[in-house]
Amino acid sequence: MPTRDLTFAIVGSGGDGVITTGDMLAQTGASVGLHVMKVEAYGPQIRGGESSCTVRISADPIYAQGDLVQVLVVFNWADFAQFRGEILASPDAIVIYEEADDTAREDIDLGPDTDDVRWVPVPFIELAKESAGTKLAKNIVTLGLLSELFKLPQEPLEQAIRGKFAKKKSGVLEANLKGFEAGKLHASNVSDAAAGRRLQYTPSEPMLLMSGNELSAVAALHAGCRFFAGYPITPSSEVLHLLSKLMPEVGGYLVQTEDELSAIGAVIGGSFAGVKSMTATSGPGLALMTEMLGLASMAEIPAVIIDVQRGGPSTGLPTKSEQSDLWQALWGSHGDAPRVVLAPADVEDCFHATVAAFNIAEEAQVPVIVLSDQFIAQRRETLSMLTLDHEVRGRQMPSAGDLHDYKRYKETKSGISPMSWPGMKGGEYQTNGLEHMEDGSPTSMYLTHEKMNAKRYRKLRAVRDKYSYFRHYGAEKADVGIICWGSSKGPVKEAVLKANGRGERVSAFVPQLLYPFPYHEFQEYIKTVREVIVVELSYSAQFYKYLQTFLELPDGHTYVFKRSGGKNLTVSEVEDKIQKVLEMGALRREVLV
Amino acid sequence: MSAAGVKVELKPGAYKSGLKPVWCPGCGDFGVLNALYRAMAQLQIEPSNTVILSGIGCSSRLPGYVKTYGFNGVHGRALTLATGVKVARPDLTVIAVGGDGDGLAIGGNHLIHSCRRNLDVLYILMDNEIYGLTKGQVAPTTPTGDKTKSTYWGNPEPSVDPCELAISTGATWVARGFSGDMKNLTGMIVDGLEHNGFSFLNVMSPCVTWRGDDQFKEMKAKLGYLPEDYDPARRASSVPFTREKDKITCGVLYEVETPSLTDQLEDMKERAMAGGEAPTTKEMLSAFYPKF
Repeated sequence: MPTRDLTFAIVGSGGDGVITTGDMLAQTGASVGLHVMKVEAYGPQIRGGESSCTVRISADPIYAQGDLVQVLVVFNWADFAQFRGEILASPDAIVIYEEADDTAREDIDLGPDTDDVRWVPVPFIELAKESAGTKLAKNIVTLGLLSELFKLPQEPLEQAIRGKFAKKKSGVLEANLKGFEAGKLHASNVSDAAAGRRLQYTPSEPMLLMSGNELSAVAALHAGCRFFAGYPITPSSEVLHLLSKLMPEVGGYLVQTEDELSAIGAVIGGSFAGVKSMTATSGPGLALMTEMLGLASMAEIPAVIIDVQRGGPSTGLPTKSEQSDLWQALWGSHGDAPRVVLAPADVEDCFHATVAAFNIAEEAQVPVIVLSDQFIAQRRETLSMLTLDHEVRGRQMPSAGDLHDYKRYKETKSGISPMSWPGMKGGEYQTNGLEHMEDGSPTSMYLTHEKMNAKRYRKLRAVRDKYSYFRHYGAEKADVGIICWGSSKGPVKEAVLKANGRGERVSAFVPQLLYPFPYHEFQEYIKTVREVIVVELSYSAQFYKYLQTFLELPDGHTYVFKRSGGKNLTVSEVEDKIQKVLEMGALRREVLV
Repeated sequence: MSAAGVKVELKPGAYKSGLKPVWCPGCGDFGVLNALYRAMAQLQIEPSNTVILSGIGCSSRLPGYVKTYGFNGVHGRALTLATGVKVARPDLTVIAVGGDGDGLAIGGNHLIHSCRRNLDVLYILMDNEIYGLTKGQVAPTTPTGDKTKSTYWGNPEPSVDPCELAISTGATWVARGFSGDMKNLTGMIVDGLEHNGFSFLNVMSPCVTWRGDDQFKEMKAKLGYLPEDYDPARRASSVPFTREKDKITCGVLYEVETPSLTDQLEDMKERAMAGGEAPTTKEMLSAFYPKF
């Protein structure tokens, strides 16, 4: 019986061509309109060392990385061991591995419940040497084998190979095409293993294949950003990379600064000068930016900061995802420093959240942090062309009357004062990290400080009233309601929809505006659920504790599923928790009634 | 322009903001401020097209006293803010100011990289060889052996020559001035503003409160000028006039013309836009369709 959904994982050393293989599989899927999600994982090495690429290809929409791998390709078991507990095989997985690696099966940990997997030894190195004359072609042999075994679209795959090697010196392309053929031929020797696993789909229009970081970069330009300053840091650097190409093309400017202090300083400077400005970083960089985040709050200067979270604290797990920068984003500063925190919940959302961040920053004259994470920022997935009907807003300019006796920090009902910028005659003012009066001149008076704090915080009310970004999935009335944020949404949504499919009453609430929090919408939601599960990838449960600071979560009916990042949340983890809480709730009602 | 369309000449006083400086009577920074007013008037700089940025310290209060756009930011980061203003708005005149602690200690890294980039701003460093605002601690320019609030037994560390640092890291216009020498200082500020690229002006600016009443007299006694035949186009020329102990030699130590960061970025933009129209969002996204 054919399948509509297959998850491949390819594991080897740097140099084995693992990532290239994954890329080609993903591009091929996207080119025929299949839904694809591709996740790469590495050790901390620059070159060499273990690397893996997981590609889920489906004929139907998908929201999460496949929990269990159905087709596992291993070039080297020692590398695979580095991903222990992260790459798990399904009970009926097909394990295709290098024949020359004689690691004993009892030394291989494929995960629980893998006694019945199908082991398929393949002489990749030998096949590559025979056909292409070099063992380097073993990843292309792999592509040939996989394409034949699982009926993957062969023509686009071949085109992908031609595209990849066309510019290499003569003979390389021909050698690789021979490798591809050799892989296809070898498939007949092992085709029994793939029975029931052929991909069934109807080809359709090509899809975009993008990462969250790439979408954030394009979104910034869409929102009118014309200045970017940044310092390279994993896993955010792709924003810098793409903008270094695109920014001058749209007539803007970009600087790679000497550190993150300089990056945020330059962003504040650019924005003060009237140009929409942005930086992108990760947790360690945000830590360095924290002092000047307060400056942007105090001087009321719009600024957009993308924080692509990784495992922490300190250097932590630079290449892997975690949701543990939440408190830093919400509260990281000395003094009372209002800011807005947005959290994109999936790859496409990186676009929407970045555009929203600019609108909010400009309208409310506050720093806005877009709290992305490695899982959505670096994975590539398919999406349809965006509708691009986003409203793009700018900052409130002073009127001629305002400029007559200009007060930059004029007291207003909303807290938002018209903001001039250099070039505007009559709009000259001096801004300050010092507390200041309405005209910007410094003061240490308590009364002014109290008044200005109130003004700056009042702006958040306007943001909350206007932007109540959240998502609600699943049953209208639910026995179990899940609250999560950011990239946890994918696996949670998939688990909720699966549960609904079984007739279980489960729902999910995913705030995308984390601060100020969509409080009223949340209160309405909480009335519709009996038991609550808070799900997050933070060892100390930062999200749960944050909610507790201002919300009454149902006493005795609230459960927390939290763990460290470093391994992406899986659908089965969420399903497991849903089942336990469903049972617990049913039991409780039986006892109580 | 006046109502009749006749250009009104701006006098130095026109650049005063009206805010009274918080500096101590006798502070050298008054001299720098007055020289700045005069230089701006001499060049007829348009206040609304000018931004003065600073960090934290006594001298960093300066932007508030000039009637332009101003930014008194956080400690050590004046040049980061200036980088953003100048890169995002190359049409503006950008001046950064601050003290020796702000620019050489906490902000030292930004000075190095602003020099290296040849960022097209004038940076005036008011050097009083001490931390004034925090009440008298040792600074990177305090002479070895000096007793300060934080060096009870005398300063154990060598000091840095800011001009030597700026020249060695790529600044294309470097000068040393003295706050008590209004005429020459005004001329230097004019020169620095007119230079295309990073202009670094180190102004010896006495602190009457923490370096004693005699600092002004001592500086004045050491004051000297570069020889007539000095060649500022050679880095080597400056060496005898750096790390001076018993002299303070004023003048333009180094001056060369190389493309500024603004020039480079404009060139890059021209190359990137050579295709004509800027790409639309849809075109940028479409680049991510599989390439076959």
